[in-house]
Amino acid sequence: MRLHLVELILFSTYAELRAERARSYLGLLWWIVEPAMNMGVYYLVFAVIFSMGGPDYIPFLLIGLTLWQWFKSCISHGGYSIWQQLPLIRQVKLPLQVFPSVQILADTVKFLCILAILLVVLWSTGYPPNVAYVALLPVLLVELIFVAACTYVVAAVVPLVPDLRFIIEQVLQVVMFLSGIVFSLDGLPPALRRWFELNPIVELVDAGRGILMRGEWPDWFALGRVALISLALYALGSLLITRLTPRYVKLPT
Amino acid sequence: MSDPIIQLEHVGVAFNAQLRVGSPRFWALEDVSLSLAPGDRLGVVGRNGSGKSTLLRTIAGIITPDRGRLRRAPVSCQLLSLALGFAPHLSGRDNAVLSGLMLGLRRREIMQRLPAILEFSELGDFFDQPISSYSTGMTMRLGFSVAMQVEPDVLLIDEVLAVGDTEFQQKSGDALRERIHSGKTVVFVSHGDAQIRQICDRALWIEHGRSVMQGPVDAVLAAYHAAPSPSLPPPAGS
Repeated sequence: MRLHLVELILFSTYAELRAERARSYLGLLWWIVEPAMNMGVYYLVFAVIFSMGGPDYIPFLLIGLTLWQWFKSCISHGGYSIWQQLPLIRQVKLPLQVFPSVQILADTVKFLCILAILLVVLWSTGYPPNVAYVALLPVLLVELIFVAACTYVVAAVVPLVPDLRFIIEQVLQVVMFLSGIVFSLDGLPPALRRWFELNPIVELVDAGRGILMRGEWPDWFALGRVALISLALYALGSLLITRLTPRYVKLPT
Repeated sequence: MSDPIIQLEHVGVAFNAQLRVGSPRFWALEDVSLSLAPGDRLGVVGRNGSGKSTLLRTIAGIITPDRGRLRRAPVSCQLLSLALGFAPHLSGRDNAVLSGLMLGLRRREIMQRLPAILEFSELGDFFDQPISSYSTGMTMRLGFSVAMQVEPDVLLIDEVLAVGDTEFQQKSGDALRERIHSGKTVVFVSHGDAQIRQICDRALWIEHGRSVMQGPVDAVLAAYHAAPSPSLPPPAGS
């Protein structure tokens, strides 16, 4: 039973990525071009026009945006996946966790492509590989669990309250600015910054920047705390989907 | 007589009529009882909106009853769904795999059956083309060929018996009838008396979401046709 679902998720992910390639002239190139354009816009506005940051601003921004876009695209694709699949859900009995998982996996594949390019950019601009790269794996793993957890929760609720779609993009925008993706949170008074650090994204992005820019090991205690929160949230999201499944099939068409 | 594998006792199913706070619920099934033994071929008759499709999806386990009891032995129930989860940009081959996985087959099993699917669907070289280039008939042929690969303990059929052009209708109808008569447990929803007589050994008549009569096919069909067409029920919530 379990293995069958793994096969279904993997093949659906392949189908999803295939379909994306077929839907535009440039196909897979958009995986790279779209985020690159997005980063270009932020660079233009914040680094060139507002001349923010100092010498380290460009890697700071690129790492922050790469990690953020992974989170954001999972939420905006996976978060709507159950809602979009309602016609299918009325036809066949499946654990609905499959649908957000497929989107998370597809967006993770795309993220890994962008990460590879980011690394090349960093190496060629004076931020060479270092021994702390070893810690990248646990950091990314924790971010994956956190991303999946948030996506599950959103995916569980959106079918019942589709109106949330109009709010989610705005909330994501606010969360981005509060997570220190574009602006450094270092300028904040320490008392206030402590509150911001309760946000798991701040911890994860900080850890990523420390490793890639300065060869620093992450704060293991903070990372462990984020991992625990993420696991708990993941369990909650999965439980929500299971509990709400009988209600999805009874929603009006 | 063997023990029932599926049993419904006074089952009711309610839907949300609209996405509005406090919108009334609408009872698609009010009170349905039935019992299904292994090898039964049950035909379900009833007018439009009587709850036949809801009943099938309840038996399939897709819908959970809001009241009453549903007991199911550990058997697999599958609604015969054509083109389930088909993605337009994928080839016929990939869609066959995807759909098969959704219908509960293991990937290995589908791979083994791909030659049979290709042959039955008569798609030839189109099998490796994206199905967005298919005609409706071709998509249906592929969908039917995939659906026939699944072998559930209880097969649930909602109207679809045959698809495609005249020739393929004959072929798909034959294949399905052969499947049905191979000792499968079947629940078949239809408007056509002839098909129910041909396929089923028992019939259930439901009206306004209530089971009215269950028994031998001829007796149930006779009673169903003798009954005056009932007036529409009052709208939900009134």
